[in-house]
Amino acid sequence: MTKTLISLIAAAALAFSVNTVAQDGEESGDREEFRSLDQDVQTLKKEVLDLNRDLFLLEEELLFPANSQVAFFISMDVGEYFELDSVNIKIDGKEVANYLYTAREADALIRGGVHRVHMANLKTGDHELVAIFTGKGPHVRDYRRGATLNFNKGIGAKYVELEITDRVKKQQPEFVIKEWE
Amino acid sequence: MLQCRSIASRLRSLLVLLVLMAPAVHAAKGDKEPIVVKDPQYGEVLFYFYQDDYFPAIVRLLAAQKQDQFTDHAEEAELLLGGMYLSYGHHLEAAAIFERMLADNVSTEIRDRTWFFLAKIWYQRGYRDKSQQALDYIEGELPRNLQREALMLRANILIDAGQYDAAVALLQNWKGRTEWANYAKFNVGVALVRSGRIAEAQDLLDDLGDMDPFNDEMTSLRDKANLALGYALLQDGQPAAAKEPLQRVRLEGPFSNKALLGVGWADAEMDNYRRALVPWMELRGRDLLDSAVQESMLAIPYAMARLDSVSQAADHYLNAIEAFYEETNRLDRTIAHIESGEMFEQFLSNDPLDSTGWYWQLEKLPEGPEARYLFHLLATHEFQEGLKNYRDLNYLQKNLDSWRDNIVVYANMLETRKQAYDERLPRVQDALARADLEGMVSRKLEFDSTLNSIEESHDWLALATQSEFDMWGEITGLEGAPALQANIPEAEEVRDKIRLLKGVLQWQLERDFKDRLWRIRRNLNNAGEALVAAQRSRRQIDETMRNEPLRFQEFSDRVYGLGPAIDDMALRVNDALVNQLAFLQTIAVNELQAQKQRLDVYTVQARFALAAIYDVAATAGEATP
Repeated sequence: MTKTLISLIAAAALAFSVNTVAQDGEESGDREEFRSLDQDVQTLKKEVLDLNRDLFLLEEELLFPANSQVAFFISMDVGEYFELDSVNIKIDGKEVANYLYTAREADALIRGGVHRVHMANLKTGDHELVAIFTGKGPHVRDYRRGATLNFNKGIGAKYVELEITDRVKKQQPEFVIKEWE
Repeated sequence: MLQCRSIASRLRSLLVLLVLMAPAVHAAKGDKEPIVVKDPQYGEVLFYFYQDDYFPAIVRLLAAQKQDQFTDHAEEAELLLGGMYLSYGHHLEAAAIFERMLADNVSTEIRDRTWFFLAKIWYQRGYRDKSQQALDYIEGELPRNLQREALMLRANILIDAGQYDAAVALLQNWKGRTEWANYAKFNVGVALVRSGRIAEAQDLLDDLGDMDPFNDEMTSLRDKANLALGYALLQDGQPAAAKEPLQRVRLEGPFSNKALLGVGWADAEMDNYRRALVPWMELRGRDLLDSAVQESMLAIPYAMARLDSVSQAADHYLNAIEAFYEETNRLDRTIAHIESGEMFEQFLSNDPLDSTGWYWQLEKLPEGPEARYLFHLLATHEFQEGLKNYRDLNYLQKNLDSWRDNIVVYANMLETRKQAYDERLPRVQDALARADLEGMVSRKLEFDSTLNSIEESHDWLALATQSEFDMWGEITGLEGAPALQANIPEAEEVRDKIRLLKGVLQWQLERDFKDRLWRIRRNLNNAGEALVAAQRSRRQIDETMRNEPLRFQEFSDRVYGLGPAIDDMALRVNDALVNQLAFLQTIAVNELQAQKQRLDVYTVQARFALAAIYDVAATAGEATP
């Protein structure tokens, strides 16, 4: 009996090697099945992604036709002097968006991400945009600043950028709204 | 906008960012490297990418690519897509992109690093052949740390394929005492044991088992090496030599049970059963889930029987049989629970599903009776990856469910818009029919011509106001009145006054002529511009009336085409979920069945030994009288 018992445990003791994930022959069946399922899942993922792309485009074109579409983006440059909490947007005196940023989103902005904070359908002609930025300013003080842009909506989609930058000389943040060039 | 950095360094840093997707260097992604964003859509993709939300990031990137919105970031976007596919576990697609992109455009260094990380991911996903292929693509020298890892990867592939000699040959020149060197030594040692070359393995494993570990990982590796060597020597019939490495294993570590059992067997092999009982008795109070503890329940009575404590041995065998029986029942209940599928529902119940990616790992099993049995399943590749796929499929299912709701709303919206359009159309057509734009244009042209001839002939009277014109008519009427033709002083006086009046009026009309001409021409120009605008609007309306039905049709086709596509995809995702669940259940159940089988073997051995004891006792009883 001794030998039988030793061989059972010895097999277990020698079954592992570092950084290898499946060594035993009995697991090769699982591996094959896993691989086959994994390929199915990968194919499905790709197809669902492509379907999502088509649905995303349909949604955008249906809800915001190119002729009337205006997209408002938030971007940050550096972000040393301002920690963004929220943005409030008014178009022609009417509040259209009030977005609260999570720490993860704010970090993504600092690293170069651009957030499409609002999409609107606007008639051709002149419009006024007012954005109020709230957050923590220099020395972690509560900070609230506004910025305004008068812009003309022509035919075709328009992109507006609400940019938060650092004014190193004044050690203050700066809030600029401009049409995306 | 944003920070200024050279394009080359930007592209390079992005590439590095992309190829540093493997967990070992995942921290590199945390570097706050600024990216210069020129296309807002690209920035939007990065916004989601930096939050590890790969699914929405990829969808936005694909959408922008389809609309040719990346004017400044086309190449970077393609690379980013490859990186995100990789992060999203879609390594086949990622590899296709990388192969395409990296063929000519980047330095050997970047390309090699990319292939290395692909190889690593493929290996972890179980695609050993692809992993080997990717390693073969590496042309130049990798950085030192990656070089070591790549060598390790090659060796592991060989070990997995049972080519131990090749693995040993590959790793035998490994130098140094770094973690990788130690891992490599261990793997070579195990490979040597497996190919029966115990003496060679002993040198390597003994060296590792005697090392001074510099961290927890190395302490654990040292225990593993000692355990592997101890059991290898035991199997090789060298119990005395086996004791030393086995006794080096920590008493409270995860390998102590097996080591204690092995030390006991070494003594037992040398017929020192009394000494063997010492480590085995230590195991008695430990968790019965451990196979070493289970086996010790048989080993103890075995030793006792050899020491002629037969009745004590019988009691221990009975206890063991009872304990194995209870454990088997618990395993049966757990198997039933797993087969019901509830356990995997629990896996996902607390998962917010807000991020999808390769790095996701289930850190701990949900609490429950099955958790203790399946704990080490978490460490296995197939189970973790299978669980990841199960989770991803669940995400896809929820995603499709949400689109299914939306598409119904969009269909309604489209119908409403179409209805409103159909209602308005006759009114618009009626209004358009009443507006004679052509006639207005003709009249405007006539006005132009008239004004031109007025200007040419300096016809100041033509621009007189109605009252001035009436006055002019009155004056000229009076001028020709017969009564004023008489040659009398009174008539002469009136004629003078009329001449004066006429002169004043003419002077005024001539004085205002240019101003009036300019004003009328300006008004005419304005009217012309308004007419042009009206004509443009009319053309737009005509175009809209022509295109709108086509637009509605195009949207209808898309909405009503995508609806069934969502349903079809949802069905397939559901099927895949069912298959994935079945696969996970099978792995988990197989694991438990293996535990059960081991208990069955132990139970049979206990019963057999007990029967032998009873048999001996009975024979002795018969012989006594």
